[in-house]
Amino acid sequence: NVETSLDVQHPIPLYLPVRTKKRYFIPPAVGLKGKRQENTEAKARAAGIVFRQQYFERPINIACTAGIFDPYIPPEGDARLSTLSKEGLKQRTEQIRQSAASQLAIRKIKEHDSVFTTKDFAEKAQEIFIEAHHALTQFNKEKLHSLVTERCYPEMTRGNRYKTIRWRFVESLEPPRVVHARCPDMVSKGNLYGQVTVRMHSKQTLAIYDRFGRLMLGSEEQPKDVLEYLVIERHLINPYGRWRLHGKIVPSWAPAKDPIIKTLMIPGPELKPGEEFDALNYEVPKPEAVQWYK
Amino acid sequence: MAAAMTGRGISFIRSVPSVLLSRLQILGGGSQQLSCLHTSASLESKTWERRNLKVYPPQLPDEPRRPAEIHHSRRQIKYSKDKMWYLAKMIRGMSIDEAIAQLEFNDKKGAKIMKEVLLEAQEMAVKNHNVEYKSNLYVAESYSGKGKYLKRIRYHGRGMFGIMDKVYCHYFVKLMEGAPPKIEKKTNFDQAKEYVQSLKNRTIIHSL
Repeated sequence: NVETSLDVQHPIPLYLPVRTKKRYFIPPAVGLKGKRQENTEAKARAAGIVFRQQYFERPINIACTAGIFDPYIPPEGDARLSTLSKEGLKQRTEQIRQSAASQLAIRKIKEHDSVFTTKDFAEKAQEIFIEAHHALTQFNKEKLHSLVTERCYPEMTRGNRYKTIRWRFVESLEPPRVVHARCPDMVSKGNLYGQVTVRMHSKQTLAIYDRFGRLMLGSEEQPKDVLEYLVIERHLINPYGRWRLHGKIVPSWAPAKDPIIKTLMIPGPELKPGEEFDALNYEVPKPEAVQWYK
Repeated sequence: MAAAMTGRGISFIRSVPSVLLSRLQILGGGSQQLSCLHTSASLESKTWERRNLKVYPPQLPDEPRRPAEIHHSRRQIKYSKDKMWYLAKMIRGMSIDEAIAQLEFNDKKGAKIMKEVLLEAQEMAVKNHNVEYKSNLYVAESYSGKGKYLKRIRYHGRGMFGIMDKVYCHYFVKLMEGAPPKIEKKTNFDQAKEYVQSLKNRTIIHSL
């Protein structure tokens, strides 16, 4: 009684086992009171299970550096003074030619990448920035990894996975400028990475919505003027290396950001037993004005 | 035939139940495709935790504000699911502060564990789910489920034995933002009035 059908194909078995009725049942934990020394590993090896060799290695990423080397310190009052005043003119005439180290670095970069010019690069940097942020709004991981280095990626995307971000680049108020360049070499002498800092002043709108679609930060209609110092990096020796966004420099004199919409609780001061918390005379501690890197 | 215990033989034996099943299907109803696959929840599925990963699209400004929902659970608690049910039923619909207060002064073993779960859920809500006020939450759903039991032998007299289950349970809770919903309680007088009204509404239709 072998019925062949067109749908299901099975090989014809050699024999079918006949089972007797199970008369009793012993749960597996019967004689375990005395035997604790035998470990499961020996038993598994005896049974024939092979475990793969465990590699205790930490993955090291060579495609990007871990930070910003010899960072650019933006002069205080940048973009606040008008071009016509004396100090404004002084700042405008502080061109990149002043710092010799940046010139050396640019020369080194031009050795490896022949198409590099400061004027074009600033425009390209702005394009990279805009595309990276568009990829962040769509959360396109592959595109984001190609536009942003591995050090910058977690900083950009931390906490954003279950949130909706709406970002729009309205216009650029000043043309972007290359202000700083460095060519550090890591570990061995010839392993060059190029880090170029670009200053850009632009108008952007940012609105972040949480998991339930409620507005957390910013607004979609109100654009804000933003002065940013972007650091773009490339692994120069690698012929397939690309210029990618590596981080941002936040100067110490930067104005405070807008607060988020919800109210937060700040941890209060540590009190000794018996002390009371004096709400009227308590000053909320403000963070120090230090330059930090995003 | 018994000596055919080669590798192929073992794979045949392993495929025998599926072969039998497919043959029964063939014998039963002609050409049955394997399209009636029934995927059930396996023992490892964490559906409740995955509900926290759902992202809603941004709301328009004229829509009412969507209340935040936080799902939290604890698995394999060493307690009975029936005993846990009493506590779960007690805190359904309470605000979170009230629920924590009631559980703190309850003498059951499950109450201490439930209180930890609620506090964890509250902290998660404030930190990760953008809930503004930690007291502005209430317990929308709370229930207990059966966990994976361990089986042991319970020795009886005369060489008889029974299988003893070491019981474990899961506890699931869903917190929502906002004030707890008020349940309208019907008084005795209202119920009596309704009954009398239903008696008065009786009519005889199609009569002479």
